[in-house]
Amino acid sequence: MTQLVCPFCGPRELHEFEFRKTAASAGGTPVERVYLRVDHPDLSIEHWHHVRGCRAWLVIERNPSTDAICRVRLLGGDAE
Amino acid sequence: MPRIEQAPSQDGNNPQLRNLRPSPRYSALSLLRARFASGPYWRALWTGRALQPAYDVVIVGAGGHGLATAFHLARDHRVGSVAVLEKSLLGYGNVGRNTTIVRSNYLLPENHYFYEDSLRRWERLSKDLNYNVMYSPRGVVDLALSEDELPGLSRRGNAMRLAGIDAELLDVSGLERFCPELAPRRQRRFNIIGALLQRRGGTVRHDAVAWGYARAASALGVHIIEDCEVASVRVEAGFAKGVETSRGYVKAERIAFATAGHTAAIGTMLGIPMPIETHLLQAMVTEPVKPLLNTVVVYVSPGHGEAYISQSDRGGLVMGGHLDGFPSYTREGRWDRLEDVASGAVEVLPQIAGLRVLRQWAGTNDMTMDGSPIIDRLKYDNVFVNAGWCYGGFKAIPASGAAFAQFLATGTAPDLIRGYRLSRFNTGHMLDEPGHGPFPVRL
Repeated sequence: MTQLVCPFCGPRELHEFEFRKTAASAGGTPVERVYLRVDHPDLSIEHWHHVRGCRAWLVIERNPSTDAICRVRLLGGDAE
Repeated sequence: MPRIEQAPSQDGNNPQLRNLRPSPRYSALSLLRARFASGPYWRALWTGRALQPAYDVVIVGAGGHGLATAFHLARDHRVGSVAVLEKSLLGYGNVGRNTTIVRSNYLLPENHYFYEDSLRRWERLSKDLNYNVMYSPRGVVDLALSEDELPGLSRRGNAMRLAGIDAELLDVSGLERFCPELAPRRQRRFNIIGALLQRRGGTVRHDAVAWGYARAASALGVHIIEDCEVASVRVEAGFAKGVETSRGYVKAERIAFATAGHTAAIGTMLGIPMPIETHLLQAMVTEPVKPLLNTVVVYVSPGHGEAYISQSDRGGLVMGGHLDGFPSYTREGRWDRLEDVASGAVEVLPQIAGLRVLRQWAGTNDMTMDGSPIIDRLKYDNVFVNAGWCYGGFKAIPASGAAFAQFLATGTAPDLIRGYRLSRFNTGHMLDEPGHGPFPVRL
């Protein structure tokens, strides 16, 4: 994985982005929300920040076993 | 030592290896005998065995922690039948991918007592295993490149000294005496202004640790089964009965996961979310050069860079640094991170700037939400987990193996690992050594 496609900026180098947290919540209690993580070897839904670019918050769906990007969308955008 | 019956080897791939006799106890005499012996000199370090239908303890993962646990179960607790199941090859995971550093320079009491126990075991491990693991107490220096970093190092050093662990805060001239290559006369963007030294820290030959534990455990009757992937845990009436593997079902009284790097996936398999994200950590080695670095140099500075540097016995400079920064199981590693680590290393050792990088590799890490490990029961009364070692599991192997084996054999966790319970995330007793909250990556 060397690039990500930002909905605003197009394909940009990976170092412009920072991963923040996996998006799926492991449950409803504060402990589950803050500390526990949902881990699927084939699909990871994550929050990323285009911090050294347009600073948009993104929801990225990836396959952590291959690092293939499945889908990128804006956080709080469509269907969020 | 119990007599071991030779079971037919199951890894029949290599007929030459299959016919090797197990290695004798190493001594000056065995060396002399080997010199004058006829026939092949090489001996198998551990014995290939057929998978049995049932064991007292099944350990999942033949890495450092799994093999050490098996060794201590067999030696200290006389557990009759122990199997170590490995999905690929023995030592293929992080025990063979780390940067071989051992140290006990931690701040929090739970951590520095545990890692000090481990360091003391490293000091005598070659004797315990009758196998040379090449423990080299060459010292570990944590560098400070700004006034702001010194109080942190001195606080950590004081905490260690209060616990009876060796630590010295060095000024610039003291550092130059200890390691001339770190002398301040070298041109650096930021000057080194001090360092925290732990003299008993150093390096250990990582592969030898896996091989040494495997050899010692195998000699005590432990079955080490490679190419045997655990797919699921069979549960009956709320009790784990055994594991389904790629080689068939294995019944087990107790099941122990020592699968750091893949424990989040184990949690998914058992249906419990873990406080773990799986991240990659890279390492690299340069072309070999003459003896240059007589110690382990650690340079961790938020905002500057991060690098762990030591020189291998072959002469290459072994370096590691930042996590890749996002969840991944690929074991590949991102290229810009390689550059980050190299530039951090060059920042403190400008004289290595011209060296070429020979190899780069990555391992998967269980990154817990407070940076400290987890040793506890998992969901069922007879399922245990030893996980969450973040990027520091190698140095923990001897203490972790001994403590985990005691936990498995007696059902009670020894005091040394009480702080590593999974329930700490519910009760708020976090061991947040890095001090950056519930994220595996420093932001």
